[in-house]
Amino acid sequence: MAGWITKGGNGAQTSIVDGKQHILLMPAWLVIGILLVIPVMVMLIYSFLTQDFRGGVIWEFTLEAYDQFFIDRGLFGDEPPQIEWTYIGIFWRSFLQALFAMVFCFLIGFPTAYFIATRAPKSRSFWLFLITIPYWVNLLIRTVSMKFLIRDTGPLNNWLVSWGVIDDPISMINTNFAIQLGLFYSYLPFMVLPIYASIERYNFALSEAAADLYSNRWTTLFKVVIPAVKPGIIAGCILVFIPSLGAFLAPDLLGGAKNFMIGSLVEEQFKGQSGDWPFGAAVSMILLTIIMIILLFYARAQSRDNSGGH
Amino acid sequence: MTNTHAIDIVSVTKVYPHRTDPVLALDDISFSIGDNEFFTLLGPSGCGKTTLLRMIGGFEDITKGQILLFGDDISRLQSNQRPVNTVFQQYALFPHLTVFENVAFGLRRQGRDAAFIKTQTHAMLELIRMAEFAERKPSQLSGGQQQRVALARALAPQPKVLLLDEPLSALDLKLRQAMREELKEIQKHTGITFIFVTHDQEEALTMSDRIAVMSNGQVQQIGSPKDIYDNPTNIFVANFIGEANILKAKVTGASKAKANSKAKSSSKAKSSSGPSLCVDLDCGIKGLNIFSQSPFKKGAQINVMIRPERIQIKPLSSGRGKANALTGTVKSISYLGTDTQLQLMLDDGENLLARLQNTIDASSSFAVGNKVEITIPEIAIRALSE
Repeated sequence: MAGWITKGGNGAQTSIVDGKQHILLMPAWLVIGILLVIPVMVMLIYSFLTQDFRGGVIWEFTLEAYDQFFIDRGLFGDEPPQIEWTYIGIFWRSFLQALFAMVFCFLIGFPTAYFIATRAPKSRSFWLFLITIPYWVNLLIRTVSMKFLIRDTGPLNNWLVSWGVIDDPISMINTNFAIQLGLFYSYLPFMVLPIYASIERYNFALSEAAADLYSNRWTTLFKVVIPAVKPGIIAGCILVFIPSLGAFLAPDLLGGAKNFMIGSLVEEQFKGQSGDWPFGAAVSMILLTIIMIILLFYARAQSRDNSGGH
Repeated sequence: MTNTHAIDIVSVTKVYPHRTDPVLALDDISFSIGDNEFFTLLGPSGCGKTTLLRMIGGFEDITKGQILLFGDDISRLQSNQRPVNTVFQQYALFPHLTVFENVAFGLRRQGRDAAFIKTQTHAMLELIRMAEFAERKPSQLSGGQQQRVALARALAPQPKVLLLDEPLSALDLKLRQAMREELKEIQKHTGITFIFVTHDQEEALTMSDRIAVMSNGQVQQIGSPKDIYDNPTNIFVANFIGEANILKAKVTGASKAKANSKAKSSSKAKSSSGPSLCVDLDCGIKGLNIFSQSPFKKGAQINVMIRPERIQIKPLSSGRGKANALTGTVKSISYLGTDTQLQLMLDDGENLLARLQNTIDASSSFAVGNKVEITIPEIAIRALSE
């Protein structure tokens, strides 16, 4: 308003553009508000409410849910408070599962992405298409079929026995291996696609320069290629690690009761009449906080990395 | 004998296989590059110069032939096994490493000890006057600075031959001119053989000890800059290096002794090595004694070349002047700063390019449409082979 008097025509134009920008940004604000801020706020509030035993909540403030997570007061709540290890144990196990899933996805996903990115431009979309085909099928169906593949009388065991690799079928269902397989199969494309995008932009003259300066293939890979495509690798790792941490279909269907993970724990609290909504909300909030802290550390490291010398 | 050459290219052929039409990128090329030489591969894009450089570096397979480095066959070695380093066109500096680490990269891969790496890297940074930038990342440098770092990185492992793939093409004009001097100086200082690829003839002329002019996968001519400019062997070289007027002529016989004696006195001894011809220019001048590197039969129809700046013109005085003079009309005038370029049309319709230096007393007396008297000194005319 006053801007155009002092700055001339340019200032006036900027303020009009600013106004338009706000209108154009409205959909984004709405999406962030409705899909992100409000649900998280609801969850935050619910985690501080009192449990209603038929499911749902009673609008009464309490720290009961967090207390239940962290502190053990015995079966009847009358013993001296100790640290509750049950849920921390579930978190720790989930964390390890997610970490392994991330590492396996990287070990297989990186060569896959490298392979696709180094094909002729025309055939790349074909390979990417192959990677994404399984995702046309519902995750539940894919996970259940995985269960059929690896069960004691399933094709995998049958083949291994008929080829003489093993004498008797190995029990694979309800093991960590089954969970890893499920997570790996579910999230592999989330690793492949960002790394592919990075490698596609990678300047292969850098590999030539490395070879010119006496690097063999492995030193070129570790000293030049991987550092140069690091942003894609990190994006892929985050995209695999975070959903794996909260995954519940694969652990539930393939891992069984003894390999309980966070996702199943949260699901349990909201399922049926026996659920504990505030506790489920509290578990989710704790998970969210941990993820935020991890990402914060990553962002810190990244900005320190980018600031360069001096 | 071969050991005195830094590089021997022996019958090198490169075919890019393709299902329908394989491309012949290099057609049976052979030549040698001397030790300590600043050697330039010059040619238009697609002539095969970069392919040849990449073959020396080990980035392209050789379809047929051999490349020798100080007498040893390196054709089958991987690029990381060749004591040859490259300055890449877009520098290809490692973006995640500091300037220091970029320069030290080759030394570290060679497994040199830490103390040597440190002193050698610092020496290289001093050489390119970038010591105070050692801790910067490449993205924090200007184009010229990146270029110098790429040079230091390639020089640090003390290669036997340094390959430079159009290293100046991404720089602006002033920087490019400064870098030419610097490159030449560094080459002299280090005593390393430089093989420089460029499509810029000015770059090639100012820096090189010798130039190989390439086109269509073949070497057209190899010689010193002066040799190539003054005595191009064919139309391609004449046109590619500088401006050239190509005129048709007819051979009337071998020249008389007069031409030879003139040649010796005019310090162009080298060009007198070929037989000299007596020709008639189709545009009307007869009985010229000119230099030719290849022999022609009497009566042959040939092309001759004359550089625009060697044509003399003056306003037409009364009637026809000397015997060797032609008359024509000024068709257009372009002012080029140091020179003025005149497009002339001879009376028989032939076009001719002339260039006059804009000295202090330069007669700006020419205007479009003026009649001029044109003298083509026979000593400046060269016969071209096919």
